[in-house]
Amino acid sequence: MSKPSDLVQGTLDLLLLKILALQPMNGWAISQRLKQMSGDVLQVSDGSLYPALHKLEQEGWITAEWKLSENNRRAKFYSLTRLGRRHLEKEAANWNRLSAAISQVVRLEEA
Amino acid sequence: MRPEHWLYIIPLRLRSLFRRRRVEQELNEELQFHLEHKIEEGITKGLSPKEARYAAMRAMDGLEQRKEQVRDTRRIHWLTDFLDDVRFAIRSLSRIPGLTVFVVITLALGIGMTSATFSMVDALIFRPYPVPHPSSVVTLVSTTHDSNFDDFSYREYLDIRAKTKSYDGVIAYADMQAVGFTAEPGAMPRVRGGVMVSGNYFRALGVEPRLGRGFREDEDQVPGRNAVAVLGPDFWNHEFASDPSVIGRKVRLNGTEFTVIGVAPETFPGMLIFGHPDFYMPLAMSRVFSTNLQKNFFEDRDDRELNVKARLKPSTTLQQARNELAVLAKNFELEYPKVNHSRGAAVYTQFQTRTIEDGNWRFGVIFVTLALAVLLVACTNVAGLLLSRARARTREIAVRLAIGAGRFRLIRLLLTESLILAALGGLAGIAVGYGFVEWFHNKESIVFMTDLPVGVPFNMDTRALLVALALSAVSALLCGLAPALQSTRTDLVNGLKSADVDIPGRKRLWGRSLLVVAQVSISLMLLTASFLMARSFQHSLLDGTGFKKDHLLMTSFDPRLEQYSAAQTKQFYKLLAERVRETPGVQSAAFTQTVPLGQDSLDGVAFVPDGFQMPRDRDSFTSAMDTVDEAYFETMGIPVLRGRGFLASDTADSPRVAVVNEQFAKHYWPGGDAVGKYIRLDNSAGIPVEIVGVAQTIKYQDTRERPMDFLYMLLAQHPLSRMTLMLRSSGDPLQMVQPVKEIVQTLDANLPMLQTRAYEDLYLNMAVKGPQIAIDLVRTMGAVGLFLAIAGLYGLVAYNVARRTHEIGIRMALGAASSDVLRLVMGKGLTLVGMGTVIGLAMGFALEQLMNSMLFNAGGVDVVAYVIVVPSLFLVTMLAAYVPARRASRIAPTQALRYE
Repeated sequence: MSKPSDLVQGTLDLLLLKILALQPMNGWAISQRLKQMSGDVLQVSDGSLYPALHKLEQEGWITAEWKLSENNRRAKFYSLTRLGRRHLEKEAANWNRLSAAISQVVRLEEA
Repeated sequence: MRPEHWLYIIPLRLRSLFRRRRVEQELNEELQFHLEHKIEEGITKGLSPKEARYAAMRAMDGLEQRKEQVRDTRRIHWLTDFLDDVRFAIRSLSRIPGLTVFVVITLALGIGMTSATFSMVDALIFRPYPVPHPSSVVTLVSTTHDSNFDDFSYREYLDIRAKTKSYDGVIAYADMQAVGFTAEPGAMPRVRGGVMVSGNYFRALGVEPRLGRGFREDEDQVPGRNAVAVLGPDFWNHEFASDPSVIGRKVRLNGTEFTVIGVAPETFPGMLIFGHPDFYMPLAMSRVFSTNLQKNFFEDRDDRELNVKARLKPSTTLQQARNELAVLAKNFELEYPKVNHSRGAAVYTQFQTRTIEDGNWRFGVIFVTLALAVLLVACTNVAGLLLSRARARTREIAVRLAIGAGRFRLIRLLLTESLILAALGGLAGIAVGYGFVEWFHNKESIVFMTDLPVGVPFNMDTRALLVALALSAVSALLCGLAPALQSTRTDLVNGLKSADVDIPGRKRLWGRSLLVVAQVSISLMLLTASFLMARSFQHSLLDGTGFKKDHLLMTSFDPRLEQYSAAQTKQFYKLLAERVRETPGVQSAAFTQTVPLGQDSLDGVAFVPDGFQMPRDRDSFTSAMDTVDEAYFETMGIPVLRGRGFLASDTADSPRVAVVNEQFAKHYWPGGDAVGKYIRLDNSAGIPVEIVGVAQTIKYQDTRERPMDFLYMLLAQHPLSRMTLMLRSSGDPLQMVQPVKEIVQTLDANLPMLQTRAYEDLYLNMAVKGPQIAIDLVRTMGAVGLFLAIAGLYGLVAYNVARRTHEIGIRMALGAASSDVLRLVMGKGLTLVGMGTVIGLAMGFALEQLMNSMLFNAGGVDVVAYVIVVPSLFLVTMLAAYVPARRASRIAPTQALRYE
């Protein structure tokens, strides 16, 4: 499937939603932003990006629109829907809870 | 999922479906945009354009696979795949139009017949009452030794209503009866069908009148006080042109003025299966309508004329209601031992009610069973055809499997094909079903020779259409699954090498052989049934009826329609008989209560033969009876074998006399002579009646009936209101209608003559044409079954032989003679048909036993059927094996060996 093995299941969705929550973006820009934000830690291949985006679109969390890009070319811009915003909030809260729990466990072992 | 979610998703899915090319183009453009940026990035990093392009593609990790992944996210694959399959299936079916048409017709016959006959069974048993919450409506019946479906009397009904706690409303209604209707006073009454109902009828059933109101409780409390009526929807439509101002209008029913207070809704044609009452009247008005003259409807506890139904409370179980009613029946027995001795009561569900009340549903069940058998033959045919077609496609399937198609995906593809065939068959089948039902409706006037509003309730309604749909789906699976499973099990290596291969082993041949056996046996069973029905029916007609049917005119009178008193009625019949007998052209004329082989059910009588030791648990026997006058036996040509018939000297004041039939006499006085013996009516304390004569046993209700006990009472001693005049003429009986009409006019200008016709016409309809409908139906199914089976059998056997051309070539090359080859291939076919015959014969025997016990009096096994059917099946098989075997044995071995 589309998820790279080094990403926790479902986290790519979360990342994409979060990025799009900041501003509407096209696929290329998203891939650049991903690289720039997470450095080399999170490796998202160009190949897995588009299936993931289309899946979010088909779920109704993001919606797409054809607009002109900064260098005046037609590009598909994705933006968050109301439903997607709600989903993001839920997923983010989930993630926070999960990561807090995990880091607590990890710290316990260190102590 | 939230509705808002669908708001986003549905347009997307629809877009993916219908703007497929656009969506694909956008996907390409989007990915292209990404790649170009990536290439530019590579070039700025110093790569050559070619290297940059290569790197960009590599980063994509397989462009086409990614696209496919994106397509997967659209979630419409199941549909697009299906549509692709459909397109493919239609293409490949249109290449073989002949086969397709044959298969569709085959399935259409099976599906159409089954759904049409289902609508019969549905109407007779399953279709719910046309009221809200129909399943809570139960039927309350009185039971005796001889009947588990007897009516209640008015008094009993009142007691049940007052003393039971299980129901939200207990209703009662009488049978539908002929009522003389006039909208204007002084006009000649026309006969319409009316039903007397209890005051709570509409309310308890939950039926809201379309117009006006239903009955009030107090309108059904004082006998004769409230002359109000509710109209049936059809009657309101036809008679009053749906005029809403009909409410409050006065109409005359049986000469009494009634006020119309409401109109029942279209959704409620009544609680009867066949009849649709024209109007409803309160039970309290029973004085106006035909009830038993000898009894007082409101007082006599044994004047049992009411059907009782009740709505079960949601909190009460059926068992509780049954227990409660059983206790009540026990109390009746204790309190009224004279009229309720050994009489119980029962509560029936709709299913029980419909199956116990009337046996006609059995015909429906037999028809459905036969129709299903036809469908089964059709399915085996189609399966056989698809199987042989799949064989021809072995290489195609092997190639598909080899390049990576999943087996499940291939099965889906093949099933789509049979689904399309079945869908087409189902559509055509609905047309066939409509045809069948229409054909049956055309016979309506034969089935019901009556002035009352009755009709055939069989329709291709939603329920029948759903059945057709379900049958199509099931037959698609039935026909398609086995061939699909088999053909995708192909051995790949061999499949690719040759166009048409069997895998080693006998498994595959076994399947086809099974089809042959199944077809032979089912069609044999079908034929047995149709032969049996037709022959038993012809037998019964040959037996004769025991009386003369020709030159008889019948016409009925009901002086109650004009409010005659008992004395007036007696006088009317006396004068009528006298004047008719004086008319030129009349040989004799008589009155009878019921016409033999007519459509009114026979009256019954409870009696005790004098000096007869009654079994301890019962205090009377029952017999069918008729009330006739002294000229009846002569007019009908029924011989009186011993003693005498009725005489004019037997009067209301002389001792009671009766004539019994031979069967009755043999039954109760097996050794001696019945003449001179006495019976007592009702019970051992009843009125004594002397048996003065023994008449020959005739057919009373049905030409197929077994000889039954029968008792005749004399009209003068047992006066009734509604009687039928039987008139024997020297010429055409219909020539006598006018003279009789003139006589009736002089007696009472307003009294209608009912059911006037030549008796022979009634007889032909009831005893010949009516059953002929059933026979035609079964014959059609038998013929269709045989035709399908022969076609299928021929196809299967011929195909099996043709497939062995290669083998036959080798045999001949090695020196086998044509005769050896013929023996070889025909032997196989004949073995299979032989097996099918044995199984079919066994099933046929079983079916015969079943039909004999359910319907007929055919007695024994119909050998002729087998003598005709079995050899013809063998002949067909031999022909089917012979033609291709002959062809195979004639080809040169060199050619056969080259045959792939």
